[in-house]
Amino acid sequence: MTEAVPLAPPRRLPVWWMILPAVVLLGGFLILPYASIVVMSFREASTSAVYGDGFTIGHYTEVITDPFVWGIVWRTVRTAAIVTLVTLLLGYPVAYHLARTRSRWASLLYICVISPLLVGLVVRTFAWLIILSNSGMANSALKAAGLIDRPILFLNTPLGVTIALIHVFLPFVILPLLGNLQAINPEVAMAGRSLGASRMRTFFKVTLPLSMPGIQAGAILVFVLSMSAYVTPAMLGGTKGRTMAVLVVQYLVDNFRWPAGAALAIFMAVLTVSIIVLYLRLTARAMRRLP
Amino acid sequence: MTTLRLDRINKFYGTLHILKDIDLDIAQGEFISLLGPSGCGKTTTLRCIAGFEAVSGGSIAFGGRDMTRAMPEQRDLGMVFQSYALFPHMTVAENLSFGLEVRKIAPADRERRIAQTLEMVRLTGYEKRFPRELSGGQQQRVALARALVIEPAVLLLDEPLANLDASLRDDMRFFIRDLQQRVGITTIYVTHDQGEALVMSDRIVVMNRGVVEQCGSPREIYERPQSLMVADFIGQSNTLTGRVTGREGELYVIATEDGPLRTHGAPGLAGEVRVMVRPENIGTAPGDNTLRGRVVKTTYLGASCLLNIETAAGSRFTTHAPADSPLAPGSEVTMGFAAHKAWAFAA
Repeated sequence: MTEAVPLAPPRRLPVWWMILPAVVLLGGFLILPYASIVVMSFREASTSAVYGDGFTIGHYTEVITDPFVWGIVWRTVRTAAIVTLVTLLLGYPVAYHLARTRSRWASLLYICVISPLLVGLVVRTFAWLIILSNSGMANSALKAAGLIDRPILFLNTPLGVTIALIHVFLPFVILPLLGNLQAINPEVAMAGRSLGASRMRTFFKVTLPLSMPGIQAGAILVFVLSMSAYVTPAMLGGTKGRTMAVLVVQYLVDNFRWPAGAALAIFMAVLTVSIIVLYLRLTARAMRRLP
Repeated sequence: MTTLRLDRINKFYGTLHILKDIDLDIAQGEFISLLGPSGCGKTTTLRCIAGFEAVSGGSIAFGGRDMTRAMPEQRDLGMVFQSYALFPHMTVAENLSFGLEVRKIAPADRERRIAQTLEMVRLTGYEKRFPRELSGGQQQRVALARALVIEPAVLLLDEPLANLDASLRDDMRFFIRDLQQRVGITTIYVTHDQGEALVMSDRIVVMNRGVVEQCGSPREIYERPQSLMVADFIGQSNTLTGRVTGREGELYVIATEDGPLRTHGAPGLAGEVRVMVRPENIGTAPGDNTLRGRVVKTTYLGASCLLNIETAAGSRFTTHAPADSPLAPGSEVTMGFAAHKAWAFAA
């Protein structure tokens, strides 16, 4: 009879090894620079270096009490809110159609949805520059249709920035919604109809509440991206369409006021997070009942 | 009285002909099963009745009113889906309340009907639970209650037991049938499980490749199939091909490779036919019809023993023997069956 040899316990790979690369990347290239910006925002200004030796909260008080800054804050938040709302309204039907269609053209539509992501942002913004100019396609089309006499000023206004941002961020609301809607059993909506509810009622009572997680994900993503968008407002916004991100860069690059610019950037980040927390609080009721 | 009438329903998907001239009259309070293999068109038929699929031709009438083009919400029916399709963001009571609110039932009435229906499906006390907090069988009963609480004219069930485990499935068969008879609701039940269809239905509609193969009571379907597909799909069967050579009273005399057989059969048979005998109707003693063969294989089933037998002409039979049968592969056996236990139908 052979003696029973105790088996060595199976070696387990330590899981933390797998997250290490991501931790290094995030820690080294996001958290550390962010921390240094926070520190910088409390340093005194200097004319001969990036910042001086002493510490101050003066940049924050200056930023927060400046009505000019608040004007731009309001415009940025308003633009981001409008972009979020419009992308949701435009994106939801597309995502819904993509989630339910059995057409063989579905993959073509899917490619159309993500195609904006395949072209560089700067290139796309130049295209908008051409389309939205006073003698551009948008204005000539409106004029030819007899809707306007004088060209609408798209460029150097919040309107042009809003239109271009909606185009840029539409995929970011469609993709999370698509995943969410595909996970909803189509028979659930059929059950609503079989119980006597119209399409509309079934949508508002069943499908829409069930798609709240997708709406949340898409809305937060687009809102954050719109708040911090730089290229589009910088190229299309001019001074009247200027947003916070553009202002921060002006502080840093044009005025060479690094500590004040850092304070402005931190202020903007805190503001964005606050709005999202408020939004989550307000929508918590709708989310609570979902599995 | 006819509750539901399907008149020459046809359905195409592109060039695919999914349903071909489906005719069906369903009487008030009847339990009808649509039975067939997957892809036979039974679920499509149900969805046409429910209004989720538009028919390409023919008409659907509820209680004499044409509803062929009506929206699902206008048809006054309750439907139980294979996935149950409960509203996951609503409690059990809210799931039931949904259809009542649509019908603008007063809150007090609503509560009373919800309580009654939940009692009927033995789920009293579960009002505040969410579907995710219930077992599969309980979810199934909520789905049933949600469809019944609106007191529809017709109840549609789409393979409702397919996702339950075997023992629960057996219980639910009787539960659903019992409930249906107590409520007296006209019911259409889609299944691919012939056992379910046999024990639950007043009538079974056997479908295959988009056509109705046969429609009749469980007994008719099992004992008097009109085609090889029905004979094979419902229960086990032995079939032999043969040719009608004469009549003896109400019996046919049919010449087969294994000799002449006396059977009853569908009226007016002539020429090529098939003879069907169920395994449980074949004994090991000579009868009206006697065949000789050799045991090829025995399979112990617990309560009985399954014998595979081959005749001299090469026909294969399966039959049951007592579990303690001494027959072993290779033994010679005599098989006998009564003329009225064999059934002939057109080949």
